[in-house]
This record gives sequence, structure tokens and C-alpha cells, in this order.
Amino acid sequence: MKKLAKGSKILILGSGPIVIGQACEFDYSGTQACKALRSAGYQVILINSNPATIMTDPETAHKVYIEPLEVSYVEAVIERELPDALMPTLGGQTALNLALELHRRGVLQKFGVQLLGSSVEAIELCENRELFRDLLDRLGIHYPKSVMVRSLAEAQAAVKNLGLPLILRPNYTLGGGGGGIAYSLEEYEHLIFKALKESPTSEVLVEESILGWYEYELELMRDSKGTSMIVCSIENLDPCGVHTGDSITIAPQQTLPDYEYQEMRNDAFRIADAVGLSTGGANIQFAVDPVSRRRVVIEMNPRVSRSSALASKATGFPIAKIAALVAVGYHLDEITNDITKATPSSYEPALDYVVTKIPKFNFEKFPGVQDVLGTQMRSVGEVMAIGRTFKESLMKALLALEDSDQGCQDVFFQMNQLSYPNSKRLWHIFQAFRHNFSLEDVHKWTGIHPYFLDHLKGIVDLEKEIASAYELSPELLLKAKRYGFSDARIGFLRKKTGREIFLLRKEWGISPGFEKVDTCAGEFASETPYYYSSYWSSQKRVSCSSNSVVIIGSGPNRIGQGIEFDYACVRASYSLKKLGYQVIMVNSNPETVSTDYDTSDFLFFEPLTVEHLNEIMRACNPLGFIAQFGGQTPIKIMFALEEFGWNVLGNSCEVVRKSEDRKLFSDICSSLGLKIPASGVAASYSEACAIAEAIGYPLIARPSYVLGGRRMEIIENQEALQSYFHRNHDIISHSNPCYLDYFLERALEVDVDIISDGDQVIIGGVLEHIEATGVHSGDSMAVLPPRRLSQQFLNLICEYSEKLARALHVRGFLNIQYALKDNQIYVIEANPRSSRTVPFIAKATGYPLVDLGVLAIMNRLPELPKLLHNQNTWYHVKGVVYPFKKFSDADPVLSPEMKSTGETMGRSPNYGEALLKAFIGANVRLPLKGEVFFSLRDKDKMLAVELVRRFQQLGYSISATSGTAQFLNNCGIHVTSVRKIHEGRPHCVDRIRNGEVSLVINTTRGTKAVTDGFLIRRACIDLNIPCITKLETAEALLDALEALKTGSHEVFPL
Amino acid sequence: MKRCFLILEDGTHFVGSTPLTFEAMGEVVFNTSHSGYEEILSDPSYFNQIVVFTAPQIGNYGVRVERWESYRYHCRGMICLDLQNSARDHAFLDSLREQQIAVMTEVDTRALTLKLRDWGTIWGVIVVADELSLAKEKASLLLNQKDQLPQDWVAQVTTGNTYQIDGMKKNGLHIGVIDYGVKRNILREIASRCEKVTVFPSKISWSDINHHAVHGIVLSNGPGDPAQVEGTIETIRHLVGRLPIFAICMGHQLLSKALGAQTYKLKFGHRGSNHPIFDPVLNRVYVASHNHGYAVREETLPSLVKMKMINLYDKTLAGFYLEDKKILSVQYHPEACPGPREANKLFDVFIKMVEGGIA
Repeated sequence: MKKLAKGSKILILGSGPIVIGQACEFDYSGTQACKALRSAGYQVILINSNPATIMTDPETAHKVYIEPLEVSYVEAVIERELPDALMPTLGGQTALNLALELHRRGVLQKFGVQLLGSSVEAIELCENRELFRDLLDRLGIHYPKSVMVRSLAEAQAAVKNLGLPLILRPNYTLGGGGGGIAYSLEEYEHLIFKALKESPTSEVLVEESILGWYEYELELMRDSKGTSMIVCSIENLDPCGVHTGDSITIAPQQTLPDYEYQEMRNDAFRIADAVGLSTGGANIQFAVDPVSRRRVVIEMNPRVSRSSALASKATGFPIAKIAALVAVGYHLDEITNDITKATPSSYEPALDYVVTKIPKFNFEKFPGVQDVLGTQMRSVGEVMAIGRTFKESLMKALLALEDSDQGCQDVFFQMNQLSYPNSKRLWHIFQAFRHNFSLEDVHKWTGIHPYFLDHLKGIVDLEKEIASAYELSPELLLKAKRYGFSDARIGFLRKKTGREIFLLRKEWGISPGFEKVDTCAGEFASETPYYYSSYWSSQKRVSCSSNSVVIIGSGPNRIGQGIEFDYACVRASYSLKKLGYQVIMVNSNPETVSTDYDTSDFLFFEPLTVEHLNEIMRACNPLGFIAQFGGQTPIKIMFALEEFGWNVLGNSCEVVRKSEDRKLFSDICSSLGLKIPASGVAASYSEACAIAEAIGYPLIARPSYVLGGRRMEIIENQEALQSYFHRNHDIISHSNPCYLDYFLERALEVDVDIISDGDQVIIGGVLEHIEATGVHSGDSMAVLPPRRLSQQFLNLICEYSEKLARALHVRGFLNIQYALKDNQIYVIEANPRSSRTVPFIAKATGYPLVDLGVLAIMNRLPELPKLLHNQNTWYHVKGVVYPFKKFSDADPVLSPEMKSTGETMGRSPNYGEALLKAFIGANVRLPLKGEVFFSLRDKDKMLAVELVRRFQQLGYSISATSGTAQFLNNCGIHVTSVRKIHEGRPHCVDRIRNGEVSLVINTTRGTKAVTDGFLIRRACIDLNIPCITKLETAEALLDALEALKTGSHEVFPL
Repeated sequence: MKRCFLILEDGTHFVGSTPLTFEAMGEVVFNTSHSGYEEILSDPSYFNQIVVFTAPQIGNYGVRVERWESYRYHCRGMICLDLQNSARDHAFLDSLREQQIAVMTEVDTRALTLKLRDWGTIWGVIVVADELSLAKEKASLLLNQKDQLPQDWVAQVTTGNTYQIDGMKKNGLHIGVIDYGVKRNILREIASRCEKVTVFPSKISWSDINHHAVHGIVLSNGPGDPAQVEGTIETIRHLVGRLPIFAICMGHQLLSKALGAQTYKLKFGHRGSNHPIFDPVLNRVYVASHNHGYAVREETLPSLVKMKMINLYDKTLAGFYLEDKKILSVQYHPEACPGPREANKLFDVFIKMVEGGIA
């Protein structure tokens, strides 16, 4: 392949909003690729609908389009920009599918756009399982026996041929979406129906079970000359049957003898050659039968993937950067290795450490969903840790999850938690060993390779030794630290505090050293300061300058704390560097831009615990640390770090205390004359009843110290209050009481982000929620500039915000949520940190909000307007993406508890179009015609009349459940009446499942058990029918549908 | 576990522990391969050496004697951070015990590797002792014996007698191999492509080889300094131009010397499975298995050598191809074991050269 001419214009496709299976790893890869291509002299145009990304910052590409990743919008960008080439291999499955679609519709051909990275043939070869199997047949490489099924009849034939259990893999879906394992015929019939629906081509590969086989993954690079190498081998701890995204994984692989590994490696190269891969990056998954050692190929992804990000962080090899350069025609041997600066990239990294990745799950947010892992990915994030030994790396990874400062804490052992793969299995394995289960038994129940079980058992054996030792000797303590035990765990075992163990360590001179990730196991000198800690290392000091600043990252993605916080950390690092500070980044999330080795001056890939941060600071002795960019994670540990004597820069512990402590905060508000909803604090149901009596219903209940509105609920009456305390008795106590606030129903909610240096107070932006109060701010759609907020109230909000910022002595960021009801403004809550909305507001206003925050923290804030956004600016609408599809038993209804994983931005001078883009960006399939089905709670019926009329005017037919229908007919609107479930069949759910409905509006009260509403909403999710659960959203959708009818797909660069 | 020390010639020491009791002296070298510990230890090229594995977990998948590259382990000692030794699986440790290999674990192998990288290859001893002073005493006794070691290491690992192996192809080809410490997989690769293989001791004469009427000859890998290998340069000079030659590692160095080139000691050698090679013969860039402490000075090669393989890491000479003399010579290991197999096709190139000679 000839190198693409310098100066050529390349359009890069991003991956859109964060969803399960496609997270911020693509911000990492896209950002790295943009940087590499720019510095190689290319013009980079970027399209991505996700505003919370570094890649969509104006500095990353020459031109940025925040537009939906949908064919018509991408075509509009192509028409406007006339790029020479399109790069689809850095934006995950979304970008790859989009590129295929652009090709099929002839868009690329029409505008003469060259496809880089992967040819259409190569993409189809890997994505179409039948073609891929033909290719493997030609090469004589094995794969699990399987049949491609296109109909229910074919599905019946398949099960006869292959027998049960069977694995179902729909074609062209993301993260194993719609797939599963069927153990019984009944389960098979149920799953195959869904899987056929889920595949855009209605094709499902039904595959023989390889459950229990060991699973491996190779990250491969190949250039157009055919030079190939394996960047990293990855081994899954969990045997086949668990999606690799949900598996604990280890790099490099540990259990394959060299000759088996080399055979696997050869197979990978032969497949890549046969596919004609010249993308740079790809990964291939293999399974090996533990007994016969038969090896099969599971699948290949001809693109940069989630595991590429992991492999990059695990090895130091910048896969996305190299992949981008290779895709434009560079050869691996002409690209220098950034880390050694002396060697070429045509080598395989050598590791002198072990890397462990553990996925992060959020099952607790989806009541009713069984925590059992299968072929469909359900984790929402991941942590990675590096240690010299497997034990050290695993134990560090456990701490990085931030669930417990003990890491391998005790659990109440349950046999089924051992025998079924689930998110807590590792802890139950530890517990089984604590209960003296034999290694053979645990192997029998879990199928995990005995090699790893040996280490897990070794950890428990040492625990027993620590607990039973007469005295904790320096030797034993050092050994425990080398095994990766935290001070807190050792303390627990010795009936001491973690702090006491720390003091012992200090006395005995036991501290970790810091080693470099250098891609070559020390063979060459490297200057890249990418570090990890180890108690095996004697390298105790890291040479930082005296004006270094530690930024505490945000750790693993989880619902409520995601890419928005990594965005803030990265921007903060860039701007601190510009100010001349040396930046020390600490984070544990391998998917992020913040853990790219060239984002900061120093990168420490470490768990975000007090212990690890303290040790890093002991080795670096920084000027101070900043806790306001990484979300709630740094906030939780800043108090302890301050106690260790480290200096907080920006918002202090005092500011945090004043805004988080409800009593202190309400005192401040009342002293400033600001209203807050009446509230009380209850540690028990009886206390709660007294409060309810005093302030009245509805109430909003929230336990203290929670993230993303965990277990927050609206309570309408005493019965619900009793039920709430009954269900949450495990987390409500005198030390952890529950807040009960009067719930301002149907109030208008706004989010305000404020920056202050103690002198100036600047309002970054006021983001108006589309849904009324009662929906978590992370889950509600929103618009900037506000549309319903009058100038008078906007001014008042700015005034209140300034007062609060001054009263709290904010240095840096403050996020405040207000509610407006009956011409009264209420302060709902304040968070003295960079919030989820900061990147959105930065993109919408064009002001680099995080940079300004850094200037404020460092006391260098220039004079700025009081309110950064202009009322006359275009509309910027935030769209929201929910993961309900992956949790088949969850109720997809919006509530005060956050459930969304990602966001999009729709931008347009026209509100309807901005809404439309936000919806499309969030993968809502908007119907152009068809039937809209309503099922409403009584309160909403009157309000819905106008909406129903508008739907009719747009040409949609209307149906409704009997009650709603009768009400509407009484109002003079003719609608079809449909039976509720208890009214007999065919009922409303039948109608939805038969595909007669194209849009559902369903509002409900409470989220109790299995109701009609639940079945209606579930049917919609299963069949990909948009289901709206709030009237405000319905109204927004109407505005969007009106815009859709105009057929406009205008796009605008930032 | 007993306390043990690695004492280097310059007095530097590292503390670790050992599950065994053996002590040993050797040249301390590091290998960066992730897997293949059995192949490495049983490779005769590691004779008289103490191998440091940079990969921290060693012994993970036990022992499979059929994968060994010779009949025994040849290194004197092995050092790694964490050695597999549990009630379930301690096979690798048992094999080390049987072969009386000095073992050191629980030592900061990265610090040791950096020392070897910065200082260069150095001799050292693994001694079992509670105290450093005792360790140093023991070490100096052992190190004093270093100069008495025979200099020609090849002579100590080569076969005593000429022997034959049946090939797997009925193509009439008869290939000779001069054993300087040959790895089994070189023999396997050759045997799979010809009808008969004859293996000669290192000091074989040209007339003895001639007597066997081989069609082509392989100069094998082997341990130590090529300058110290006795009784083979003359033989090789006779071979050049008369028979197609495939030279590997030590064979490559000796062949180069026979052609008039010089060899030199690399600072810390190349040992691992990840070095990139530019190979003009296969016209590819690939990674290859490496294990050598010496190299050929490129500029001293005769000027008729045009096609050269280059190690892309440090641009050292990695091999050459002389078409008219039918010579293919590589510094790295196309037979892999352990390591990548991309260079395996060079065996086919050699066989083609030989076949061309017959036709």
C-alpha cells in the first residue's frame, strides 16, 4: 500500500455514547490516533456524538463534528468536508458497522472516499461468521462446531444436530448483545427469538458449547507489508462461557507452554494474512480444551478494541497510535517505539510483571436482575493493576475496584456463588479456601485453571498465617505486602487498624518501590515515566520536581461516575502542564485517556486508595494533590490524605464537609436566605414516620454517601416508606442515616457549574433538565441555553450560585442543582467538584471549563464574564443512553437512581433538530409513521391530551389501554382501545410483541413488582421499540419528530 | 526456603532465597522470553551460564521432557522472582533438583537485569548462606576457580561420536550437521526435510565429512566465545564453496571467522523471543528467537557479502546470504524453541539450495 499523501484529509469515526461493551477505551484510541495522524502531517476531521470525550475537544482534530453516528449525518459531513479517506477502525463496532453501511449505500464510492485500516472485504470476513468459518476451513484451523440460523425452523434443526447446551451469537452485534447460553430446550427457544431480533441481519450462529475451556486472546498488529507481531497475550481467569469483557484477565498468558503458545500465535498470523488485515490492530480469541488440548478460534475483531486498550496499558505499546499510522500506510519497522525512543515498533513487548484486569459491575442498580455471567457483557467498567507477581497484581486490582479497603474481604459463603459464574465469584473462591475447601473441589466447581487457584489458595494460606502468628514480624509483614495485602486487611487480620500497620511499616522501613513499564523488561533504557508500585522493588524514590501536582483520577467506570470525570482529569493535566507544573496522574482504569503515558509528566497506574496515594506521595513529595476532578473517588479519600499531611490544592476538605453535611449545608443556605426543601434525617422507620408527619409526602429518600443516586426513591405514602426502610435496612443506621427531603413534584430542575478562585465567581453554564424533578440528573435529558427558565430566574440562579460559592469558600469547581416550583427557587444539592455536566457545558459554550477551573485552583484566573454562555447561542441537547437491553429483567423506568451509561449531544440552531440529533445519537429508533401506544397513570392523563393531538397531527395512529383510551375519547380524541393484561388476550403486550406498535408512552407510579407497565416496557426493550416513561420526554420526542419530518440533516463543526 | 545470595564478580550482591541447596558459578545473563523455560535451560548454548528470567512467574506449566532441546539442563544456575512450587505442582522444581541446578528466587530480578544491562555480562555465583560475609567468602573461593575452566565450551557439549538420524522425507537428501551444542529442534527441522542426517562432533575434519558424502551442511548453535572454539575453522574453510551451508548462531560466528571476519562480545547479549529482524532473503521484517553473547563485526565481512540480515534493535549484523557460494548464515534461531517461528522458512531456503546443488 502506498502511503497516504501528507496533507490528505482523514475522517475518523468515533464510537458514540458510552454503552456496555463500548466505553471510553475508544476515546483513548481515537484521541491517540488523532494526535498521531496530526503530527504525521494529515488533516483530521472527527465525528462523534459523545461530548464527554477528549477526542471531541477542538484541540484534538482540525475539525470536530459532534453529530449522530448515523449514515445520513455522516454523509452530510462527508459532503461538506470531502475527505480523502475514512478511518473506521478506531471507533469500535459502531464505527465499523457505520463504515459498512456507508459502503453499501454507495456513499464512499459517490464521494471517492478511500476506506483506511480495513477493507470492506476484511470487515465482512471477520464479522460474517459463515465467511470466517470458510476461511478457517481453508487454513485448516479449528473452530467450535456451529450452524448459522436464519429462522426458527432452522433453529430447530440446529439443536437436533448440535445438542445442548448451545451458545447463541447473533451476527453484527456489540458486546455479545442478544446472545446467550441455552441449557434447556425451553431456554433455547426463548433466546433464539431474541437473538434473531437482535442481529441486524437476522442471523444467529448457534455453536457447540465449549464451556469450561480455557480462553486466551492475542492482540495483533499487522502492516500492509505483512509484518506482524503480537503486542500482548491475555489469559482469561474465567473459563469459556463468560464474556471476555466480564472475565478477570491476566497478561501475559501464564499457563500455555511455549510450543502451544507459538502454535496459537502462528494461527493468529495465518488468519490475519488470509483476511488481508492491514488495519494495524486486531484481536483474536482462542479456546483450549483443558484435557485434549484441542485449540479453536472463537472470533476475530479487525479493529482496535477494548482489549487493545488493556494491552496498550499493560505493555506500554501504543496500539491505537501505531494502528492509525499503519492504516495510512506506514510500516511497523519505520515507526519508533515512543518508550525506548531507540527501537522500532516491529517488536513484541516483553513484560517483567503481571497485569490483572477485573471488571466492575453495577448489578445492584437493577433490582430483579440475576447476577449470573454469560456470553453477553454486563460489566460497566474495569480496573487494571500491575504487580511483579500474579498475587501482587491481583490483590492490587481488587483494591482498585474501590469496594473495600481490604480487597479480599470476607463474604458470607454461598455454594451457588462458587458454582455459577457471577460478579462476586472471586470472593467466594477466597471464602471457600478459608473454609478449607480443597483446590480440586474449587477447580471442579469453577473450572478455573488450577495454576491460578494455587495462587488464590496461597493468598488465603498467608492470611491464616498472619492471623495466627504470635507476633507480626517484619519478615511476615513484608511477605504480606509482597502478596499485595493492604494495610487495612492486615490490620483486620491482626485486630489492628490500617493506620497502625502503616506505622509499623514506617518503623521497619517497609515501603513499596516504583518500577517502570518500559515495553522491554529492562533490556533497553527508557525515559517514559510510566510507573507501578511493588514491594519487590528496591527503587524507592521517583525524581519529581518540587512543583509537582498529583491529580487523583476517577477509577473504574461505573454508572454515575464515568468518562466525564476522566475528561476533567485529562484537561486538568494538560492545563497544569501549560502552567509549568509537573503533573502526576494516578488512576486504575485502563480504558482512559488519563492513563495514556503521554498525557501527564508522570503516570502511576495504581489503585485509588489512601494507602497507595500516600505511598506515591511519599516517593514523590509533591506540592499537593487535587481532588476535584475524579468524581466522588478522590473526595472520599481526601480527608485521610490530609491527615497524612498532604496538601490539598483547590477545594479543601472543609469545603467538601460544608457541602456534603446536610446540617451544615442547610445552615449556610438559610443564613444566605436560600430555600431548601424541608428535610430530616432518619436512622429508622419510626424516626422516618415522624419526619414524614412533619414535612408531608411525597418524600425523596436517599441514603448517605451514595453515588449516582444509589437506592434513591420517591415515596408517596406511608406504605411506601415502610417498604423502603424494610428493603434498605442493611445500609441505613445511626452512623449511616437516611435523608428524607420533601419532594418537589413536577418542578423544573437545572444544573449549574460554577468556577471560583475565591475572588471571582463565574457561572460556566446553566443546564436545564427536560424531565421534571424525580429523574436523576444523570438520566434526564437537558438543554443549554435554558428554554423555560425566564431571564429573571436565570439572574436569580446566578446570584444564588455566587453567594453559595463565596459562602463555601470554593476554590475551583462547584456544581449546584436547583429546582423551580411555584416561582420559588430551591437548592437541591451542591458538589464542590467538577461535575458530570462540565464537559457538556464546555462543548456547548466553547469555553475550556476545566482549564478555567485549574486556573482558579492555581490562583491565575483571568477576568471573565460572569455567565459564560450566551442566551442566543444554539441549542445543545443532552441525550441519554440506558443499558436496559443488557439487563433483561430490569424495569426500564426512569427514577431518582441513575441508570444511564452514556450521553450524546445534539447541536443545532433549531431546538427540534437539536433534540432529534440527541435522540438519534442515543440510538433511539424514531418511527416516521405507525401506531403510538399510550398507557398513563391518572395524574398524567389530562396533561397528555395535547401530546396525543400532536401525534395525530403528525399522522401517527393512537392506541391506549382501556382506561387511558376512555379518558381520551371523552376528551374528543379518537383512539383505539387495547386490553390491559388482566382484561384477557389479545392484550397490549401481545400487540407490542407482534410488532404493531412503533412507539410507547408509558408513565407509572412507583416501581413495584411485576405490573402491566413493567411488561409493556420490557416488551419494548426486547423489540427495540422506543419506550418513553416521562411526559416531558414525550413532548421532546414530539418536537424531534416534527424536525424529523422536515428531512434535514444539517451538520455543523464546533 | 533458605537464604541465598548472588555475588557478582565486581562485588555487587543480591539477596534471595532458594528451595534447594546447590551453589554454582557462571556467566550471569538475562532472557526476556515469557515462556519456554524448559527449552532455555536445556539449550546447550547456556552452558556455564546462570540464566536470569525477566518474566517473574516461572515453572507455571510443569515439565515435558519431550520438549527439551537436549538430554539435560546445561546452565549452571537459574534465577527468577517466583518459582512454581505448590503441593499440586512442583515438577519443574523437581527437575532442577534432579539436575543439580542452583536456583535463586524471591530476588528483585529487575534490579539485577538493569545491573547486567548497564554493567554488561558479568560472572557471578549463587551461594547459600545466612549472612553476607559468609556468602562473600564462599563466592570468592568459587570465583577463584573461574580461570581454570576450559575455554572451549563447545568441546564440552558437542557429541563424542558421529551419528546418524533417519530423515522423514524420501528425497535422497543427506544433510550433515556439525554439533557445537546443537538444539534438538534444528535436528528435527532438518530431519523433516531430508532422508538422512549425519551429526558430527565439533572437531570433525573436512575429509571425514567428505567421506560421508553429505549434500549440505548445517553449522549449529553452541555456547561460549567463538574465538575459543578449536579445530573447526579449517574444516569450515574447506566446506565453503563446496557444500551448501546453513549456519546458525555459533555456526554463523564460526563461519564468519572462516570467511575472515571478526567476532566481538556484546555488552549484555541478545536473549529473548522478541527481537525484530530485517531479512532480505524472505523479504520480511519479523521477530525471532535470540540467544547469543557474541556477534560478528559487520564491516569485517568479505565485501562480496551483499544480502545481510539486520537486528533492528541495535542494528547489529543478524545474518547474511551468499547466493553464489550457497551460504545462508543467521545469528538468531530459525528453529525457535522457545520463541517465534517466522524464520522457520529459512530451513526451506536451505533445502532448496541443497536441491539446486543436486540437480
